[in-house]
Amino acid sequence: MAPLEISQKKQSTQRILSVVFVLLPLVFIVITMFIGRYPVSAQMVIDTVWSKVTGIPVAVPDIAQTVVWDIRLPRAILGALVGGALAVSGASLQGLFHNPLVDSGILGVSSGAGFGAALGIILFDNVVMIYVLSFIFSLTAVFFSYLIGRIYSTVPNIMLVLGGVIVSSIFSALISFLKYVADPFDQLPTIVFWLMGSLANADYREISISLIPILVGTLGLFALRWRINVLSLGDKEARSLGLNTRVYKMAVVVCTTLATAGAVSVSGIIGWIGLVIPHIGRMIVGNDNRYLIPASMSIGACFLILIDNVGRMLTGSELPLSILTALVGGPFYVYLLKRTKGGGW
Amino acid sequence: MHLIEIQDLSFAYPQLAALQDISLHMDTGEALCLVGPNGCGKTTLLDHLIGAHSMQKGRIFFEGKDFRKLRTKELAKRIGYVPQSRRNTFPYRVLDFVLMGRTPYTGVFASPDENDRQIALDALEEIGILAFQDRIFTQLSGGERQLVILARALAQKTPLLLMDEPTAHLDFAHELMVLETIVKMIKTQNLSVMMATHFPNHAFYLQSNGVPTRVVMMKQGKILQIGQPDEVLTVPNIEKVFGVNSRILSIQNGQSGGMKTIVPVKTANQSERMIICDKIG
Repeated sequence: MAPLEISQKKQSTQRILSVVFVLLPLVFIVITMFIGRYPVSAQMVIDTVWSKVTGIPVAVPDIAQTVVWDIRLPRAILGALVGGALAVSGASLQGLFHNPLVDSGILGVSSGAGFGAALGIILFDNVVMIYVLSFIFSLTAVFFSYLIGRIYSTVPNIMLVLGGVIVSSIFSALISFLKYVADPFDQLPTIVFWLMGSLANADYREISISLIPILVGTLGLFALRWRINVLSLGDKEARSLGLNTRVYKMAVVVCTTLATAGAVSVSGIIGWIGLVIPHIGRMIVGNDNRYLIPASMSIGACFLILIDNVGRMLTGSELPLSILTALVGGPFYVYLLKRTKGGGW
Repeated sequence: MHLIEIQDLSFAYPQLAALQDISLHMDTGEALCLVGPNGCGKTTLLDHLIGAHSMQKGRIFFEGKDFRKLRTKELAKRIGYVPQSRRNTFPYRVLDFVLMGRTPYTGVFASPDENDRQIALDALEEIGILAFQDRIFTQLSGGERQLVILARALAQKTPLLLMDEPTAHLDFAHELMVLETIVKMIKTQNLSVMMATHFPNHAFYLQSNGVPTRVVMMKQGKILQIGQPDEVLTVPNIEKVFGVNSRILSIQNGQSGGMKTIVPVKTANQSERMIICDKIG
């Protein structure tokens, strides 16, 4: 029958897409090792990787090896992790709240993280403490949003979002306060740069710190991706289809929070990805979260690696990521909207 | 043992008693129409049966099993739900939307498998809309969307379906199409249907098409009368519940014999209408 054939063709297209989505971030990571302002020839990059993997020493200057293996590579990996985590959290929360305007920071994760980081910068001036405080406060912020949402016993979505808005604005005010009291020559610029997002500090320590929450969160969302479809129908219908909505909603919130908190605590606040990458994903694979969740992960990862490469190549000093995500992503998004006519919205 | 039995169910919102001492039962293969004005408690009653409210007072049994002992997932294998035609969702493909009916049968971290897909396709075929499978749900007309929701309910494979105003916002033809589909589902799938409706005529329609039908007439959270459509849908009852003067006509209809229909003529006097508005507000 004709409709069945169409359906099967779609399935095989989707299979090809899955392979592409798995491979693409890896390709981006590999390419990143070859590009940068410090001149390292392609042969030297290959030799370095060969030497690091096999343990056989090669005749590449130490500084080139460091640039490739300890700067470019961890930066690309961290970019992939952070970009994927932000995009997948945004996609999941958009599904959960059946609202396309929601992003990964809607429940207060980002502003909580920002406050924690600012506090760390002022009190400790120690990178690890900044990560820890930022992580703790991003969880705290979501916890408070959830408490506000629970004022009604069923945690209606709109209350949860409202809770997030309230908590975000409170933490934004607290960030402003910390900026106001911070040392204007030393601490204030650090806070400001942190709030604009950067992967400049990326090394294997950052990866190991953020890896666990990001992995737990994204794998959880990946596993729940079918249920997010059902949750997007709203509480009553999801319940009538057999989902304990309170439990699953909580599970999605916890997973997105872990993933986003793990990401922003090492990278600072990177806007735009959690909002727009899911939409780009929808234009490519449609609205079914079974495909959208992995697609968002992959596109988010590639996008952030790309942006970070642009950011460190464009000028002598590094451009903060949030500036570029919006400047590059905005026009690209408009272009996609024009091409696909919005895809059914 | 009844398919479903409700005993002395009462429920109050913080400032409003929504249900008072509701007792009723229904059996397999039967259609039960909940009839009454806006705000009389029909939806609250249905919400209890899908487990959307925690019960305050009273008991519900499904095939003799206490409702409170059934988990959400177990409940969803027994009772399906057909909401009003809707649009506010992501633009899912029709087949994916129908697949969601298989949720109670999939594991916590699993997605539907090939078997579920086949069941969803069968449900679409049964309703006669297999050709819709690759279309986008939100781009369908209201009536078409409602047929898709019926297919999803079929894919859920429950003995009982709850329907909340299944024909709301539909035009003439689609309203009839949905009703015809419901009749077909009850007859071929041995389903039972509990349906809240604004149109008392639906009860007459189901009855004249050979579905054993009873009407539950509700007003302000209480049951006024339960019985055959003829017994309950009377001119005095319609006036009492809706505040509307009406006529009941008999129409001759080729194969199925006669079908009754209520024709609202005019609202009762002004003062009484004010009272009704008050109570709804």
